[in-house]
Amino acid sequence: MAAGGLCWVLRAARQVSPAPSLQARSYYVDWRMLRDVKRRKLAYEYADERLRINAIRKNTLLPKELQEVADKEIAALPRDSCPVRIRNRCVLTSRPRGVKRRWRLSRIVFRHFADHGQMSGIQRAMW
Amino acid sequence: MWSRVRGWGGAAGGSCRLAARLLAGPASGREAAGVARQEGRPRRLCLSSSKIQKLFSTSSVLSTEKVKPTLSEDSTTEVASKSQEGTAETPKQKLLDLIGNMKVEVSYRKKLQQLKTREVKNQATDKLEGMDGEGAVLQRTTEDIKRGKPLNPELVKAVSAVASSLPLNKTQTESELLAQLRRHEETTDKQKKGGVINIRNVISEMAVKRESPAQRGVRISNRISMDFDEDGQRIKSERTSRQSSDSRRSLKVGRRLNIFTKTSTETENALQTVSSPTIWDLEFAKEVAAVTAQPPRNGFEEMIQWTKEGILWEYPIDNETGMEDDAEFHEHIFLEKHLEDFPKQGPIRHFMELVICGLSKNPYLSVKQKIEHIEWFQKYFEEKKEYLQEI
Repeated sequence: MAAGGLCWVLRAARQVSPAPSLQARSYYVDWRMLRDVKRRKLAYEYADERLRINAIRKNTLLPKELQEVADKEIAALPRDSCPVRIRNRCVLTSRPRGVKRRWRLSRIVFRHFADHGQMSGIQRAMW
Repeated sequence: MWSRVRGWGGAAGGSCRLAARLLAGPASGREAAGVARQEGRPRRLCLSSSKIQKLFSTSSVLSTEKVKPTLSEDSTTEVASKSQEGTAETPKQKLLDLIGNMKVEVSYRKKLQQLKTREVKNQATDKLEGMDGEGAVLQRTTEDIKRGKPLNPELVKAVSAVASSLPLNKTQTESELLAQLRRHEETTDKQKKGGVINIRNVISEMAVKRESPAQRGVRISNRISMDFDEDGQRIKSERTSRQSSDSRRSLKVGRRLNIFTKTSTETENALQTVSSPTIWDLEFAKEVAAVTAQPPRNGFEEMIQWTKEGILWEYPIDNETGMEDDAEFHEHIFLEKHLEDFPKQGPIRHFMELVICGLSKNPYLSVKQKIEHIEWFQKYFEEKKEYLQEI
């Protein structure tokens, strides 16, 4: 099941710091991040169907006619439902490149927080 | 209270206090007597007239329970000492000794011992009755016996001493005190009998009893999980029926202990009737929750809030959170029974057997999800039958 890899739908909204203020901003960093969020949602919804149709397509037992039909069916699904279109962007800056998967942060933000001692278990390497 | 007992021990005021406590109430009086008894214990040793004290050590006016251990201890000495000190006691001294020799008996063990030594005490009292010189006391004891439960003759003696010391009408006070004593006796007897029997019953039937709410929870969970497989259904219902029949048999057998009142069932019924909350109730509940939800005062409360919302995991981390799969392993592995609607020969069967093999090895899916997969394939192949028939 591809559902395991698709559980990364983070609502990384740029919200105010933990102090209880009245402003609750629910905007994403930029439109690209928003589109990425939509893609993730759709991919989660259609994950099962895609898996099943691909199982029919990618085997040698079933007749080819059936597989061709399955090809057409999967092509008919919404384009944003395929997981390949998801890009692991930085959660805070929406940077598409230089993102460490474990922290979901771009290298610049990661470095910023690490230097301020706000990354648990991270210290400057020296050997 | 302690200091009062010590200070007023020698004066006439002490007798008044004692009488007041006597007439005040059984429970408070018993406590006071107990306290006084505790105080009196060390005093007893230093006083010279120890034999007189031993005589009257049994005559605690307020409670029969506390009397009994002393009775068992001093019954032998009483007989000897009584003959010696027959005439020398004034009523005030008697009271002094009374207060001085009161004990506190709290342990249940001693009460049980008292029950056992009652017979011994009765023998001792019989002896004392024979030795008693005062005819009036004998008359009273016979009267008491006529009324039903015979009062302790030492108590009666003490009552007479107290009454004689009081300035008011002596016969009246005596009758009142005796009435109080009788009431005490009745209550203590009832408690003792009831308490002992109930505990014996409980202990004898302890193995039988089981928690019904736990059983109910088990039944409900079994009902919920029965939706999956037919084989699973049978096995589970057998188990539960066995358990329930065993428990029912053992529950209904035996005496009723009457420990639990019937109000519990009434509250259950009341709860069931109020099962449909109106929209207004929901709104009100939401309002109340919004008003009472204060912002977190510290980091701990913030973390608690986050855990409730689901933002923060629950620690220690349970790897199976959210995965409440009550199905047994055979339901995960043996999925061939779902393939009954598929053709038994041909490429589709081959394909589905591969699918089942893969699903049986998948630990991340629940049984429901696996069945959904198989059902989807079934539907799909039925729809595409035209393409399949060309082969």
